[in-house]
Amino acid sequence: MIFKNSLIIFAAYLVLCFASVTSVMAEEIDAQKLLEQLDDNLWANKKFISGRLIIDNGRKIRTLTQDSWMEGATRSYSHYKSPAREKGTKMLKIGGKLWMYTPRTDRKILIAGHLLRQSMMGSDLSYEDMMEDHKLSQAYAATLDRFEEFEGVRCAVLQLQAHDKKTTYQTRKAWINPTNKIVLKEERFAKSGKILKRILYKDYKKIDDRLFPHTMVFKDMLKENTKTTYKFDVIDFDVEIPARYFSQSILKR
Amino acid sequence: MNWDIAKKNFYRQGMRAFLNVLVTALSIISLIFMLSLLNGFQAQATRNLVATDVGGGHYRAPGFDILSPTEWEDHTLKPDESLLRLSNEDKAEVLIQQGQLYPNRRLYPVQIRGISMEQSLLSLPLDNLKLYGEQIEDIIPGVVGVKMARKAHLKKGDILTLKWRDKSGAVDARDILIVDVGDMVNPRVDDGVVWLRLDHLRSMTDRQGEVSWVAVRNYIGPVKGFEFQAVEALMADLLSLLKQDRRNSKILWTILMILVCTSVFNTQILNIFKRQKEIGTLMALGMEPMRIIRIFTLEGALAAIWALVVAALLGIPFFIWFQGVGFDVTHLSESSFPIREIIYPDYQPKEIFYSLLIVVFLVVMAAWIPVKKIIRLDPTLALRGRAIT
Repeated sequence: MIFKNSLIIFAAYLVLCFASVTSVMAEEIDAQKLLEQLDDNLWANKKFISGRLIIDNGRKIRTLTQDSWMEGATRSYSHYKSPAREKGTKMLKIGGKLWMYTPRTDRKILIAGHLLRQSMMGSDLSYEDMMEDHKLSQAYAATLDRFEEFEGVRCAVLQLQAHDKKTTYQTRKAWINPTNKIVLKEERFAKSGKILKRILYKDYKKIDDRLFPHTMVFKDMLKENTKTTYKFDVIDFDVEIPARYFSQSILKR
Repeated sequence: MNWDIAKKNFYRQGMRAFLNVLVTALSIISLIFMLSLLNGFQAQATRNLVATDVGGGHYRAPGFDILSPTEWEDHTLKPDESLLRLSNEDKAEVLIQQGQLYPNRRLYPVQIRGISMEQSLLSLPLDNLKLYGEQIEDIIPGVVGVKMARKAHLKKGDILTLKWRDKSGAVDARDILIVDVGDMVNPRVDDGVVWLRLDHLRSMTDRQGEVSWVAVRNYIGPVKGFEFQAVEALMADLLSLLKQDRRNSKILWTILMILVCTSVFNTQILNIFKRQKEIGTLMALGMEPMRIIRIFTLEGALAAIWALVVAALLGIPFFIWFQGVGFDVTHLSESSFPIREIIYPDYQPKEIFYSLLIVVFLVVMAAWIPVKKIIRLDPTLALRGRAIT
């Protein structure tokens, strides 16, 4: 009897200990800091990515291959290599402006203002999504919503509220693994709270000292049977990028 | 005297004269029909545009261009006091924004038009929107036209998502309930357009009190901050299309007139060839060549006069009947013409009078030109039937 009671007391003690550890963990997470750590992991000063953009519009799947060079959050240059229809297309982002060059027309176009809201090459991403040039931790105030299991990982679900009312998505949610500071899922919402986009970050691999996703799946939640998968085949951090890559003179045949 | 001779000669021509008269009469009927149909088309299109969209003109935000949807959001402003003072019978405030509708979860770019519910200047089937309050509740009520409903596979009672941007550029989306599918008459306010209450659209986009334009019944003079676009400017594309149509109809009209004139011309040539002995005799008896020419020309003129009579006899009943049944232009319902499915001719007396005058003149000329050579005719040769070979 004494043994049985001791066992119950011990079990209760264990449960209490576990519960208190969990709650301490929940309370101890600084959502904003976690977001900053996430940004630090994702944003490198200079990087090169060679990847594939797989656009599935529900009827047809198109694969675009591209090389991209990025410097910080504000400058990037992409060069599309295939298919034949898009081969030679170049995109240059400098600050809030995006130029596009198509060899078929042999002209560069400034995609600005409302044009940025159009779908990029028929994908689930808009040009605006593609050229997002701010770190989440700078644009949003984060609060911890809850902990949730996602694909077997206990994630901190952060609720992000935009600081500026001009920010396209006023609220977002991010599922972040607090252990290794990586984002696994993100949802973007309309002002009304209606879900608009879901992004899954997959295939994390260690490159140098960073964990970087090798697959991103974008889904426009208002459309049916469409998704755009961005697969990174080569990722190099802190590469030397020739200065001409971030000059408009690159936008020619 | 001349008239009696001409009349006798004309009736003696028999079938030839009758055919000339018939061809000319049918051409006159076709001509009047064609002109009146174009008039009817223009009048009906103008009426529909004025009633559903244009009113007596628009006071627009400077730079607003309906053909540049990516810039609509940059051209909205609050109406001046002078516009706000107008009664609801004399003005209609309209706000236009870009949006994206998702019927069956497919993207469908749309024009979101908000219109004040109190206005009675424009005639649009938006009564069901009036059943809702100024505040948006769970769902946004919207109305679409028949054409839009057909293209986007929508029906009354459907609930679907509408996405738009607010004034700051933040994206927003909510469910919209199609409270009615209305017959808009004018495809410009139907195709790709979702109609909302103005107060709802203003609150959705954070544009309190703003408009893209104010349609007015009458021009009220310059208004600070707005530029006036008259009915003609707002219908410029349609008017230029109709102008082109009129130009094309002139080609058809010319062909018809050439046929009529050729017929009369041919008859006259045959007349003087067959009747050269008669001409020679008249000349030998002392009749002046000019008088003979007048007689022959009068014969041609008689064809024109009889053609007018026959055109009236055949045409008036036809026009009366046609005014009742109209002309079916169902094939245009898929185009952007602001027209109903049946159009009715619009007969303009002045236009008809001038057209008839031109026809008579041309027929008389066609009758005169071949006979003017009589002046050079040798009577002796004519008597022997060898003057014209």
